[in-house]
Amino acid sequence: MNDANPRRAFDAIVIGAGVVGACCAHYLIEAGLQVAIIDRGSVASGTTGAGEGNILVSDKGPGPELDLALLSRRLWFELIDVIGDRAELEPKGGVVIAHDGATLTRLREFAEVQRAAGVETHDVDPMQLRELEPHINPQIPGGVHYPQDMQTQPMLAAAHLIARGVQSGRLSRMTDTEVTEITRDESGRVTGVRTLSDVISAPIVVNAAGTWGGQVAALAGVDLPILPRRGFLLVTEPLPITVHHKVYAADYVANVASDSEGLETSAVIEGTRGGTILIGSSRERVGFDATLDWSIVQRLAAQAVEVFPMLAGVQLLRTYGGFRPYCPDHLPVVGADARVPGLMHACGHEGAGVGLAAATGYLIAQAVTGRPLDLSLEPFAPVRFDSTPERVGAHA
Amino acid sequence: MSGDPLDATERDVVVVGAGAAGMSAAYAAARAGCTVTIIDANPVAGGQYHRRRIDAATYRPRGCDDEAVWRRIHIESATTVYAVEIIDHGTQRIFGVRTRGDDRHRRDVDLVRARRLIIATGAYDRPLPVPGWDLPGVMTGGGAQALIKGSGVLPGNRVVVAGTGPFLLAVAQAILEAGGSVAAVVEANDPVALRRHRSALTNVGKAGELARFITSLTRHRVPYLRRHRVTRVHGDTTVTGVTLARVDASWHATPGTDRFIEADTLTLGYGFTAQTDLPAQLGCTLQVSADEGLAVTVDDDQATSVTGVYAAGESTGVGGVDLAGIEGLLAGAAVARSLDHPSPLRDEPALRRSRDRMRAFADALATAFPLRSGWRDDLEDDTVVCRCEEVPAGRIRNAITELGAHDARTVKLLTRAGMGWCQGRVCSLAVDRLCPRSATLDGQARAATRPVAIPVPLGAVADINLQSRRES
Amino acid sequence: MPEIIIDGRAVTVADGVTVAAALMSEGIRSWRTTRIAGNPRGVFCGMGVCFDCLVTLNGEPNVRACITPVEPGDVIDSQQGTGHDGGVS
Repeated sequence: MNDANPRRAFDAIVIGAGVVGACCAHYLIEAGLQVAIIDRGSVASGTTGAGEGNILVSDKGPGPELDLALLSRRLWFELIDVIGDRAELEPKGGVVIAHDGATLTRLREFAEVQRAAGVETHDVDPMQLRELEPHINPQIPGGVHYPQDMQTQPMLAAAHLIARGVQSGRLSRMTDTEVTEITRDESGRVTGVRTLSDVISAPIVVNAAGTWGGQVAALAGVDLPILPRRGFLLVTEPLPITVHHKVYAADYVANVASDSEGLETSAVIEGTRGGTILIGSSRERVGFDATLDWSIVQRLAAQAVEVFPMLAGVQLLRTYGGFRPYCPDHLPVVGADARVPGLMHACGHEGAGVGLAAATGYLIAQAVTGRPLDLSLEPFAPVRFDSTPERVGAHA
Repeated sequence: MSGDPLDATERDVVVVGAGAAGMSAAYAAARAGCTVTIIDANPVAGGQYHRRRIDAATYRPRGCDDEAVWRRIHIESATTVYAVEIIDHGTQRIFGVRTRGDDRHRRDVDLVRARRLIIATGAYDRPLPVPGWDLPGVMTGGGAQALIKGSGVLPGNRVVVAGTGPFLLAVAQAILEAGGSVAAVVEANDPVALRRHRSALTNVGKAGELARFITSLTRHRVPYLRRHRVTRVHGDTTVTGVTLARVDASWHATPGTDRFIEADTLTLGYGFTAQTDLPAQLGCTLQVSADEGLAVTVDDDQATSVTGVYAAGESTGVGGVDLAGIEGLLAGAAVARSLDHPSPLRDEPALRRSRDRMRAFADALATAFPLRSGWRDDLEDDTVVCRCEEVPAGRIRNAITELGAHDARTVKLLTRAGMGWCQGRVCSLAVDRLCPRSATLDGQARAATRPVAIPVPLGAVADINLQSRRES
Repeated sequence: MPEIIIDGRAVTVADGVTVAAALMSEGIRSWRTTRIAGNPRGVFCGMGVCFDCLVTLNGEPNVRACITPVEPGDVIDSQQGTGHDGGVS
């Protein structure tokens, strides 16, 4: 379904109307481009609609992802200035806890390294923990407070950013529209996309298809090794504010960085403005199977009750699941694809897509318009996985 | 609760629901020699149609009167199934049925194992929003009936019964019989079309029942207003009256036909929604039924698309208590056969013919009382559509027009409509029909996906004794 | 005939009725206010589906009045908002 807009030629096409696509579209139109955002589903219907809305620095060690996260965090405040409070941004901070002394020592060492890289961290003892989180299990020996962690409602953020672009007249929103081919000229350069019912032209195509980014890359004849990493979230009955921060166990960071295909869970607990408490997180590589596994629910519930004993009597209302876009080195794919001129990627953010979306869109716009980059995109280069010969022209 | 969860009893058959379908199914399967457990949320068996007081005589479906068989059936009352899962996918397929006690005992969880499942979870009322419908004193027709049948309490002193379908007449009748007063029965459609089905009515034994209802209305001087709709409910903290209007065939109100009726209670019901949570959890194929709602798809043996899972009664499409009973018998017999027991039924072909005839009639009835769209005109921007999350119509319309949501799922993500306590059971039809892309099987099935069918305390979920999957 | 306490007041209700029916037979139509607008709610679906009739029973919030039978000695309290507004225990 398209908005009543007869235009079929654009400066850029963004494939994927999730939060990353929305940010790409936003910064591209801010740069003066005329843009189309296309999604085979609806706005925020993929992984954006299945996440918690994390904007985190706490879970990232020094390196390119942390740099991207810190830039993104600053930019999120700009985006909120643009769309207002409707995206429910909560700069509430994170609290990472350790269940034993050895883990606490490692956690504090990690925090010290992060501090050196520009992250604000505060070690907290059990008494300070209870000041931050009055309901927390008093047996927890301590943790680290990360005031910079934030949360947003990512579906609203994406939808309002896109809506604002549409209202400005510079963005065409084409949902329920499936791209079947990324078209190229004889030289291999991108000329636009073909959809089930249309041909839309643009010299730039941005692949912001998240977990399905590999499939979209294939429409241009190139490989991107993005795999789904399944996760479930539990949602409680609405409560008065009981959990004030994003509270999670230190093993979460290790699980995020793990390459295991098997099930890993770690306690992640946070409140929402709607009053519900979200409980995660699970990670496993099982393809696109969405069937709820009750052994995972059991583990998530047990871990959450261990951190917040008062949750034992709180009712589980529903669960939802989604598929994080996972790359082998856990870094997103952001930037121009050297194999196909005109093709940009902005996908593969795993569980950090909401947090990294703002900087991703911002840097994509800088790259498209040829301006100097605030941050090098080299660590996120699409060709970093590519050991096969160049495949340009293979499908031309 | 049935035994130690660590040594959970394995039953041949677990039947979910103790209404006409579930009780008949359990009886047939047990009579053939299967071990059967019925799990039912209510304190006493009977379902919605045969809802009775706790101290009333035990419910027995028609033709299921051998008490020796009933003594072999284990009925787990006041117990709700919050999830079903396939524990063993092999040839010896085993289902895990996760239960909790009633709201007083909701921490009492259990995991029952079964080789076959029969879903007989029935249906619930299908209300549509109207300004003021969130006032105390507005309730569903089934809700009013449950108060009368289950507790002997009248829903109010002066009741307007509104919506569509023959059930309106049953609700009015129940109120009148209990000594209550009905101000009017307000039917959005024109059931004159029913006359076309007179022979079918007679055939399935329904003509007499309907005639009795109409006679009763006449005797009590209750107006039966066809092609009318309640377009507004008045009141501050409780209902004081309703505005009615005459409507056209699409249910749009005719200007100048508004009329106020004093009443302290309004019942609403535009047909029923089949309870499909559990089959949806298992991945059973669903379909859009004749009443435009969802139903579980079943074959001639009442088998769903998932091996080992059967369904009977309203969950396979709303069709009334007699049809539900027959479907239950057939499901129970088919399950027994699949476990190598002989069929317990004397004349199965005749039962199948009855079922098909009654199902055809139910479908014809549904098309005589269709769902139209004119109700959407009534909604003001501040009319609550999602009662749990208090989402007004204006916010839903804004999500559609400004934010580009075209389907109910996106509206849900952007507005929270359907995310609350009831998980969209009450509002999902209305939300769906407000969307440009509506009434699709896929969209309705997604809205009806509820991995947790009923809320359950986290501490109970965390109970390690309920582990069903071996950790690797 | 069970004796129960409704919002601090002792009453005797009929045998075998639900909490909702007990409240309604006492002339009470609403026993909950919503958490956002604070609007009054009572029985709606009457069969455990809609959760509109939530009530605090013997100190436990968010019990469905419509499908919970009364037991002698029950203490029934109307509830506001999430039902946990006095704190989560």
